[in-house]
Amino acid sequence: MTSAPMTASAPRAEFRAAGTDLSERRRSGVSKGPLIDLAAAPDTIGVTWGADGAATIGALTSIAAIGADPRIAAAYPGIAASALGLATPQVRHLATLGGNLAQRSRCWYFRDPHIACLKKGGSDCPARTGNHLYSVAFDLGPCVAPHPSTMAAALLGYDASIATSQRPAISIGELLGDGSNGTSDHALASDEMIRGVRLPAPLPGERALYKRAISRSHAEWPLAEVCARAVVSSGTFQFIRITAGGIAPVPLRLAACEAALQGKPASAAVIAEAARQAGSGANPLPMTGYKLDLLEGIVHDVLERLAM
Amino acid sequence: MSTMTINGRLAPLPDDPDALLVDVIRDDLDLTGTKLVCGAGVCGACTVLVDGAPVVSCLMPARAAANTKVTTVEGIGATQLHPVQKAFMAHDALQCGFCTPGFVVEAAAFCDSWRRDKGTAIPSREEIGAALSGHLCRCGAYDGIFNAVAAACAGHFDGVDPNPPRVEARQKVTGSAKYTVDIRHDGQLEGVLLRSPFPHARITELDLAPALALPDVSAAVSLLGDDRMVRYVGDPIAAVAAKDRKTALAAIAAIKMTSECLPSVIGLDAARKPDSPVVFEKSSRKKAGNVSEGAGGPAPWKGNVRGPTAAFSQKPKKVRSWVESARQAHDPLLFEATFRTATQSHSCLEPHAAVARFDGDSLTVHVSTQAVFHLMELIAKRYKLGHDKVRVIADHVGGGFGSKASFGIETTAAIDLARAAKAPVRVAFDRHEELSVTGYRPATEIAIALLPFEQGDLKALSLTAHADTGAATNSTIAALARLIYPAQAKQLADYDVVSNLPPGAPFRGPGGPPMAFALEQAIDEAALRMKLDPIALRKRWDPNPNRQRLYDWAAGLDVWRNRKTSAAQTGRYRRGVGVASGYWLYLWQPGVKIELKVEGGRLIASTATQDIGQGSRTVIANTVAHEFGLEPHDVDVRIGDSRLPEGPGAGGSRSTASVIPPTLLAVQKLKDAIEQNARRKPVAGSNAPWREMIAASPDLCVTSVRPEDSKPTAPGIRSPLKDAGFMGMIFGWMLRRFSNLAVGAGVPSSVQVIEVEVDTWLGHVRVLNVQTGIAVGKIAAPALARSQATGSVIQGLGYALYEARETDPRSGSVLSAGMEDYRIPGIADTPAISVHFDEAGFDHVLGGSVGIGEVATVPTSPALANAIRNATGIRLTEIPIRPDRLISALKGRTAA
Repeated sequence: MTSAPMTASAPRAEFRAAGTDLSERRRSGVSKGPLIDLAAAPDTIGVTWGADGAATIGALTSIAAIGADPRIAAAYPGIAASALGLATPQVRHLATLGGNLAQRSRCWYFRDPHIACLKKGGSDCPARTGNHLYSVAFDLGPCVAPHPSTMAAALLGYDASIATSQRPAISIGELLGDGSNGTSDHALASDEMIRGVRLPAPLPGERALYKRAISRSHAEWPLAEVCARAVVSSGTFQFIRITAGGIAPVPLRLAACEAALQGKPASAAVIAEAARQAGSGANPLPMTGYKLDLLEGIVHDVLERLAM
Repeated sequence: MSTMTINGRLAPLPDDPDALLVDVIRDDLDLTGTKLVCGAGVCGACTVLVDGAPVVSCLMPARAAANTKVTTVEGIGATQLHPVQKAFMAHDALQCGFCTPGFVVEAAAFCDSWRRDKGTAIPSREEIGAALSGHLCRCGAYDGIFNAVAAACAGHFDGVDPNPPRVEARQKVTGSAKYTVDIRHDGQLEGVLLRSPFPHARITELDLAPALALPDVSAAVSLLGDDRMVRYVGDPIAAVAAKDRKTALAAIAAIKMTSECLPSVIGLDAARKPDSPVVFEKSSRKKAGNVSEGAGGPAPWKGNVRGPTAAFSQKPKKVRSWVESARQAHDPLLFEATFRTATQSHSCLEPHAAVARFDGDSLTVHVSTQAVFHLMELIAKRYKLGHDKVRVIADHVGGGFGSKASFGIETTAAIDLARAAKAPVRVAFDRHEELSVTGYRPATEIAIALLPFEQGDLKALSLTAHADTGAATNSTIAALARLIYPAQAKQLADYDVVSNLPPGAPFRGPGGPPMAFALEQAIDEAALRMKLDPIALRKRWDPNPNRQRLYDWAAGLDVWRNRKTSAAQTGRYRRGVGVASGYWLYLWQPGVKIELKVEGGRLIASTATQDIGQGSRTVIANTVAHEFGLEPHDVDVRIGDSRLPEGPGAGGSRSTASVIPPTLLAVQKLKDAIEQNARRKPVAGSNAPWREMIAASPDLCVTSVRPEDSKPTAPGIRSPLKDAGFMGMIFGWMLRRFSNLAVGAGVPSSVQVIEVEVDTWLGHVRVLNVQTGIAVGKIAAPALARSQATGSVIQGLGYALYEARETDPRSGSVLSAGMEDYRIPGIADTPAISVHFDEAGFDHVLGGSVGIGEVATVPTSPALANAIRNATGIRLTEIPIRPDRLISALKGRTAA
């Protein structure tokens, strides 16, 4: 739709990787500033492996390539499954890991060029008092849009470190912030770009699963999503790590669930009780309480399968 | 300058960093098989291969294609058709065809890679569904697509070129079919609309001069009405034409206006409050849109509420007193509930679009329309031109579903701009416009009360429907409950609730699906309370002969006979089976003409109708070919041009019933003429006598008009309006007088049985299988009728499970104006669908066929809700049954 835009954010240069997020915002007029196209360099494309079995993935590696890499699938099954679970095949062929981490919010108020919001220089969040059906259930800041990056939620669970053009190693938490800054979707400096992602070597015997709750079968932004890693031996959760997306302004670790499982038997009762902790600490909005039910359901689902 | 190699040829790429690959392909290279639909990477219509990998060209910067090899649909079958293209043709894996090029490109890449890895193994539905998950088809051609892709992978189409059941299939699978958005005249300009950012305002001043002052801007026109009011966000204000879209967008941004904002009100609940701001003052009520297929009658207004229209009630006072007594007596058979349905957007993949061009005082308009002939009449009237000076063309139309049946602002804007600019102008809506301001099926709130007699007959039925019609009126929902399940008394009241939202429009069986959603669940509940089989109860309460036969069919289905009760299930996944009925009126258009001629030894059939995916070209070709003992491709069918003899609009499921009878009359006339003019008779014993006769015939031409149906009908077959007494007759008369639609005898009917699996942890519904029984007379084009039947079910599943227009409660801005937020079903959401055609019931119609498009979608949402009730014991009273609603209902909470 076209009419005089009501927003007046100062145009700032944006980096463009494949453009799968940016092109839509350029067409609608939400993004107007100058563009800087990122050129692939040897260290920003493809996967390199250290002697310790740790992988480094270049920021311009495509999501499809990550999803199709058998060595990634073996070492970091949660990363591979997350890559295969997001967007559509034709988007995954283009979209990059760095772009996925640095993409902007999918909030429908943010995406409408005629509506002011915090992320476009406005003074408040129209979703909070408006239609926030797909917004957060963990209300951590002034903006109620969930973070859109599926890969970020998975990388958080793998303790990934991000190399940028200015900093050699920052955490996902440092990259995306704690959700209290409603004006931005990441905490990169204006001229800082992501160059790669380093994953620690996997634990012996670990498994991982990824699952999202959506209304249809495929190709939908998650209502809630979970990536869970576990080492189950002798019928006990020796290691457990659960991260979730789609529910908060940043990906979250579900610490209460983890605490309810760590060192405990992988039994139906323990799993059900841990799943009930999924919404621990949540403060849903009037329309988003359902996300906690879905989160519990997904956690229950992946834990059952990890325990098998 | 950088370049790419596209379909084997070198092509330059623009330097503009914002140029997208799709625009270069379509606009610079005129490869219009690649379609721009969602602009957000969701629907896949723009899919091309870049170095062999399918990508969305709507999101790919053009400069990123430098030094790559790009293949579009035109390159897929350039030398010979790809097996996937042949399979799509043979399996009728398409309807309107607008999504088809994208599907073909992706499926060809999938098939090639599958064949490399797995030979001729057949991929599973899950594998096909995942591979094509980045594509959407609004017609719902998925059933055919599954079959086509599986068959192509299996190697079934490596050789022969098939004879497709749909006559224009080849153009659609190769991308050569031209739609309105693909039309490009020399010197053509691009038109863009300035739309209201306000929900309710008076535009006091509008200064177009700053727009006209910009370079390359050729025209700017006001689109304001005489009252200068805008009544919803997105209401048109002005339009400009410029050399390209980017320039036009800059021009509308330069327009200066001052406005006086007025109080506004949004949606069903707020607009019903007695003190809510009034959207239409008495003098301006005629400016409201129309959500029905026919014109409306008079009705009372109170503030923003128009109604009740209750002409189809029958002893309503009795209903009130019986229901009140039953309530007081706590009669366990009295069922009362309130049902809610969401706003459903048509979401045509080809947007509303028009290309206007003046040649002297003659006007040619390509329009994506459901009514080329009627639109020509309306344009001629508005612009005071003779019918011979206006030509409306629509060779192919990328979906309509009711939203393209009227004279839209895209058409007037294109014409006004073309006249002002003295150059051809295209206006094509973007996806935000398409999903916000081009109409929708209004949301409803339907209060129902159903009361059986103690001995089991239906005593009283009450439906009160409030429809969220935005800046429109004339919803007919409750009234439709008069024409099914006769009762002792019925109270049926319809209200339009007008607010500062875009106007609703007719949508596939207007009023039918929401009425059925409420009524068919009430019938299901009655059966549960009466401890009767829900099909047996319908058989008892619904005497319609077409549905009686469908009930017998449904009752014999294994899936129905083997269903369990909800009490039998406790696990995470629960399965259930539901049934529902639906009907639609049999409508046909008086005055429709078919011209049939022999020209140069070939048969040519012509009428000014259009094919929006329903298959009218094929219906005519099949009918003519059958009568002459020929093949459909022996007949050329000319449609989509208002210069042809008057043809029907594609709405109200009227096309088939309007074109077959005159076609049959014309065939008889032409046969007589050929015989009279024949120099010699065919050789005795020839197995294709007419082929020889036609080849040898001089040029001949006959025309026939749609005849009235024969009066004698089979027992029980009569106009359903006869069941509605005097008011029914008035309704029928008005429809014919003011909407040129005749209501025929016999009731097109559908009974559907749906099996679901409910995931009680994730609030997810998986539809396992659908059996759809349909009685619409003889099937003129079986493969296409099957496509319509399965597509209707898929659209109905979208209505039931996924689709809802979402708005901002303050401004009414449509938030779900992109295809990621307005969720139509994808291929992997498609269950196995079995179609049963009962071909009896319409012998009084010449040819015996009536339309299928609307009736086939009416029962889907209640059948699905009844299946969920059977699986879980919970009755869902609100659609779409999304995870948020289902999980809340399962946990016994109220959803937001």
